[in-house]
Amino acid sequence: MNTEPQKKPRARKRLLFLGAVILVLLAINVAVPRQKAMPQLSARTLKDLAELATVEYSVTKIVSYKDVAWYGDRKILFETAATVKAGIDLNELADQDIQLEGDSAVTVSLPQPRILLFNMKPEQMREIFNESGILRSDFSNEEKDGLLSQGEKDIRAKVATMDILERAARNARILVESWLKKMGFTAVRVVFKEKRGRT
Amino acid sequence: MKRIISLLNLVALLAILLLLYGPLAKIGLLPSLSSLLRGGAPKIEDTPVIIQQIKNIAQMFTQTFYDEYVYDTGVMRTPLFNQDKRLIFIAKGEVISGFDLSELSEKSIIRRGKSIVVKLPPARILDVVINPSGFETFIEQGEITFEESKKFHEDARRIFDRNARDKGILKNSAEQGRQMLEKFFRLLGFDSVDIIIPESR
Repeated sequence: MNTEPQKKPRARKRLLFLGAVILVLLAINVAVPRQKAMPQLSARTLKDLAELATVEYSVTKIVSYKDVAWYGDRKILFETAATVKAGIDLNELADQDIQLEGDSAVTVSLPQPRILLFNMKPEQMREIFNESGILRSDFSNEEKDGLLSQGEKDIRAKVATMDILERAARNARILVESWLKKMGFTAVRVVFKEKRGRT
Repeated sequence: MKRIISLLNLVALLAILLLLYGPLAKIGLLPSLSSLLRGGAPKIEDTPVIIQQIKNIAQMFTQTFYDEYVYDTGVMRTPLFNQDKRLIFIAKGEVISGFDLSELSEKSIIRRGKSIVVKLPPARILDVVINPSGFETFIEQGEITFEESKKFHEDARRIFDRNARDKGILKNSAEQGRQMLEKFFRLLGFDSVDIIIPESR
């Protein structure tokens, strides 16, 4: 018996059925919107601060990324800049940190300096190079933000290892000394508190 | 002919699988195909951080305004055959205000015995901070250039500045500065402390 003529229409029927399924699924794909959780925005808040910034570092960094694949490369290069301010948090200044000795002598114990502000302004960023292979998609805005965020993280880490805190402490000492002298104190001593004891 | 039909069947099955994957990825039950093809998180190259300038400053931060804002560029029409563009992103950052104490001069501090008068400059916005990590792309349609995106980010910063002013950051900043300095001078033994702060523009 020859089953070939029966097989052929069955195979065609299956193909037609699969075609119909594809059409239905295509319609579903078009109809289903891309779902992304709506962002939860927190309330706008004003908060009191009591910080004295005494030094500002302006730094630059080249953010470079190469995405190498057998079907083509993608390369991007940014020039970025950041401003970092360091100083002391005066909220940590307690009553006992100011010791008066008569009317003209004073000892002030300041808290240890820390980085107070990190700012990477968009206007100081530049895309120097951006190239994608013919089979590769261009860098999306989201990807660029991701790469720049990595650059930000790297700058934060590297600035922390620089001498910014030492300079902030030195400047804070000079500043407080000069203000107290302007106020009429003749003997001014500025020291820095440590977690235990003083320096 | 038989082979072609078998091949078409196989292609159709593959297409069905992909089309089944699509809606599930769209509703977030599966990762998107593009993210699967992209592989792991991209890693930038290790480049140095170069110091361009070190400046001695004397800025007193007295107020911070934390803000989150959804920025929608709206649909940007492009020439025929080009996809319309739209970018919606969430910006998170802060506005810092306070005083630039480097503007203080000898005449700004007047001491008479146990009383002191300090004339501060007006409180002002010192920094508006929205770092790259503070931007989150929500919807991105069409090809948005870096320069365009930078312009929107700068605009978001201006909105933060305006929102902070509307919330009264400068008034609060002046008040907090006054309280802070009053406390400091009283600790220094002054009985009468007068802090003069001109109104901010």
